[in-house]
Amino acid sequence: MTQSLTPEEPLLDVDGLAVTFYTPRGDVRAVRDLSFEIRRGEVLGLVGESGCGKSTAAYAIMGYLPGITRVEGSILFEGRDITQMGDSDLRELRGNRIAMVYQDPATSLNPSMRIGPQVEEALREHLDLDKNQVRERTVELFESVRLADPETIGRRYPHQLSGGMQQRVVIAIALACDPHLLIMDEPTTGLDVTTEATILDLVVELKDRVNAGILFVSHNLGVIARVADRVAVMYAGEAVEQAPVRELFKNPSHPYTAGLVSCCPRPPGDDGIERELSSIPGSVLDAGLEREQACLFAPRCPLAQEACTTQAPRMKEVDGHLTRCLLSEDVDASIWGEAQERQKELAPEEPVPVLKAEGLRKFYGRNRKKYMFFGPSVRRPVRALMDVDMTVGAGRTLGVVGESGSGKSTAARAIVGLIPKNGGTLELRGQDLEARVQHRTEEQRAAMRMVFQNPTASLNPKLPIRHSIIRALRKFAGLSRGESRTRAEELLEAVGLEPSYLDRPPSELSGGQQQRVALAGAFAASPDLIVADEAVSSLDVSVQAQVLNLLEQHQLESGNSYVFITHDLGVVRYVSDDILVLYAGHVAEYGPSEAVLSVPSHPYTEALLSAAPVPDPDAEPAHIRLEGSVPTLRAAFTGCFFAGRCPRKIGDICDTTPPPRQTGTDEGHEIYCHIPLAELSELQTDAPTRDVVATTAN
Amino acid sequence: MAIQEMSEQASPGGASTLLGAAGRSVRSGLSIVLRTNSGRIGFAIVMIHLILAVFGPWLAPYSPTEFDSEDLKIRLTGPSTDHWLGTDQFGRDVLSRVVSGARSIIWISFVGTALGITLGTIVGMTSGYIGGKVDQIIMRGVDILLAFPGLLLALLVINIGAQRINMELWPSKESWLVIITIGIAFMPNNSRVIRSAALAIKPLEFVQSARLRGESSAYIIFREILPNIIPVVAVEASIRVSFALLLTAGLGFLGLGVQPPTPDWGLMVSESRQHLSTAPWAATSPALAMASLVIAVNLLTDGVRQAVRLPSSQEI
Repeated sequence: MTQSLTPEEPLLDVDGLAVTFYTPRGDVRAVRDLSFEIRRGEVLGLVGESGCGKSTAAYAIMGYLPGITRVEGSILFEGRDITQMGDSDLRELRGNRIAMVYQDPATSLNPSMRIGPQVEEALREHLDLDKNQVRERTVELFESVRLADPETIGRRYPHQLSGGMQQRVVIAIALACDPHLLIMDEPTTGLDVTTEATILDLVVELKDRVNAGILFVSHNLGVIARVADRVAVMYAGEAVEQAPVRELFKNPSHPYTAGLVSCCPRPPGDDGIERELSSIPGSVLDAGLEREQACLFAPRCPLAQEACTTQAPRMKEVDGHLTRCLLSEDVDASIWGEAQERQKELAPEEPVPVLKAEGLRKFYGRNRKKYMFFGPSVRRPVRALMDVDMTVGAGRTLGVVGESGSGKSTAARAIVGLIPKNGGTLELRGQDLEARVQHRTEEQRAAMRMVFQNPTASLNPKLPIRHSIIRALRKFAGLSRGESRTRAEELLEAVGLEPSYLDRPPSELSGGQQQRVALAGAFAASPDLIVADEAVSSLDVSVQAQVLNLLEQHQLESGNSYVFITHDLGVVRYVSDDILVLYAGHVAEYGPSEAVLSVPSHPYTEALLSAAPVPDPDAEPAHIRLEGSVPTLRAAFTGCFFAGRCPRKIGDICDTTPPPRQTGTDEGHEIYCHIPLAELSELQTDAPTRDVVATTAN
Repeated sequence: MAIQEMSEQASPGGASTLLGAAGRSVRSGLSIVLRTNSGRIGFAIVMIHLILAVFGPWLAPYSPTEFDSEDLKIRLTGPSTDHWLGTDQFGRDVLSRVVSGARSIIWISFVGTALGITLGTIVGMTSGYIGGKVDQIIMRGVDILLAFPGLLLALLVINIGAQRINMELWPSKESWLVIITIGIAFMPNNSRVIRSAALAIKPLEFVQSARLRGESSAYIIFREILPNIIPVVAVEASIRVSFALLLTAGLGFLGLGVQPPTPDWGLMVSESRQHLSTAPWAATSPALAMASLVIAVNLLTDGVRQAVRLPSSQEI
């Protein structure tokens, strides 16, 4: 190649980068001041909440900025400034020396081309190889990203691969020309935890194998902790702290970093004490604002003093950290509130549970005969839920976990009656529930409310936010117009919003604020049960902690119960009293959360647990890995539902006999598995290493 | 991601960028329409036509229906200082007739469009929201209506209406029959467009949460969904107006619309076409008036479409 760099010399040197977009609605200062360096063989994690400019920075390095933009500062790649390059120079760099991996593998691959030619395309564009060499190199690449069957997999189309395999193909394309710099923009965000873990393993492995610098952009501290060597934290378009990963997590020197770290739900520490989540009040500074002579984080900072609002801090070096804080000496973990032991009082068990579901079934579609010419001869309905039992006691929280496709959301929707169940019984405080919400009584509707994943879509964009709250109050509490307005103001205050927000359109609120409005609407009817379907998944960590604390506080005050659906094990560990693990519409494990989360557990629970990223760089990566994705079941089958992917499959019995229900030592703990519990706990205490090769899903 | 972040900041509507412009008042909507060139030009010309429609009879120099029967010398005279656009075969002033003719055509096509859009919106939203078998039945009915040739439908409605309806209507029975024809002709297409817009809103969480509150279907359709598809309705309506204008003129030309001696552009073209070679002004003046109105409406449509940021769509 053109230049050889000494290891000391940075591969990429970003200095004082600022990116401004000119939009019809005013300037957007996406990146204000960002400097960092990447050396070969090093992974720099770029972390921050949504809107902090981390992706814009990544795109600026590729020279890919959309619209009318102004770029200030310099981006030196191997000594040449990318911001000054022309189109043809940039084209020469992209894909060849700098490669990018995007968030959504499904849209980065061309759905109408086989994947082999898509890799070959990248090779032919930049390298001078003949046909056979191209083919060989493609197979090599597939092998290097650990795809099973590298010889033949190139004949497949993207839709024939699972999400994780698609992302491996995208990485293979990125690696095609031995890039010197690899930019990964949230490469695991759209994937399930189990798949995420395997992709992260691959990144860690590539780091050692490929002599390239990697810029890894993510909002997830757990992911960053797993892969990065050094971390740059961004806030409102500025880098606020930069340090080696261990240093950063152990000893943050910027209040924002300290806040982010303490917002993450994590397993209880060595002392066994579970701590309350702290949260960062407020939300990220509006990117439209002009920079003033002040610290951008000051409005949300617990340490802020007068000096913070009169002078803009510069990056300075403190104990090996680069930090943008005037008071960095005072920063430690306790600035966000002393770690308090969490008050977890369980409501006394009542004889009649709030919600009881027995043998819940939901099929999508119906039996269909063959179409005239096409399709399978008989098409059976998809079995989304098969005989799911669950009980939610008063004042308790049931966490429902599983990968996407495991039936969690279907369960939530069947419980509230948005989609009618096909079988089984649902009881609310001992009363039978109709399948459809419109057939239930007003009291039943009032007693069971739902909070959705996407806060933006859960409020009508064309109506002021008071609409949903007041409507619920008038319908369920029977209040008059005036009374409901007063009550709505109280509810907003209870969720930490100004009462004046009532008359605003939802578009003026941030995602976290919108979710709190949705919660206020759910709280309005004083329900017995709130079904929260991924209610915090789309929120940033700091806001997520606010919402989780709000939910918990409301439970302590009013004694309601939650069914909390999430794919995030950290969150479920934090909120749940009981946990239900679903796989392909079947219950894999059910019981009190301590029992489910500790040994022995179902092999699927074990896999989920070991895949969950933990925001601690020293956490030992567990070695159970699942490949593929949850199967779509159309027919009854004889064996265990998990047999196809089970890392602990013991033999034919798994394929031929449905797993028996085994009762654990804790009361109400159930595991559906053939392996005897004693053996299971033995297996799980000394976790064996297992080499994983991506196999075809189903 | 950067693009996402950008567009989120550019339009704080998140999921509903498509519908971003709705919800603002009509006035601010108009101000956005006027920001585009095509919107400005279209708006100006449409306004001229509207002024003529309202004040035409007072602005016209002569009575549009006055026969100069005593002195037939001025039949089919060319443009002059007395008669700027000349006279027709009965010696009537063409300018006066064009100016007064704006009223009937604009009235008929605007009200006809409004009727068609209202019907289409109600049918489309109901069909889309309720779904299932009801949707199937309604949409097949719509398909049957669509299969009818437009002109045949017009003949049917107008003939039956002319025989069966015997009461006096303002401004005339024929104009109402044309309005009903336009309404029925536009309903099917419009209901399809509205249905697909409603289908896009239906799965959103705020509709689900309205269902969980136990709201009635009518409430959900009109209070929750309708405000979100107003932009679609607005674009649809403005597209349809120009079709309504053409249909009205066409029916007038065939003698199915407003009856003589009321001035009507379609009728005027039809009456004076046999004199086209000797007195081209009599036929071309109303035709040009018609053309300018249709073009202006199309320009305005373009402005509306840009204002609500809907993609330029072909006819469905």
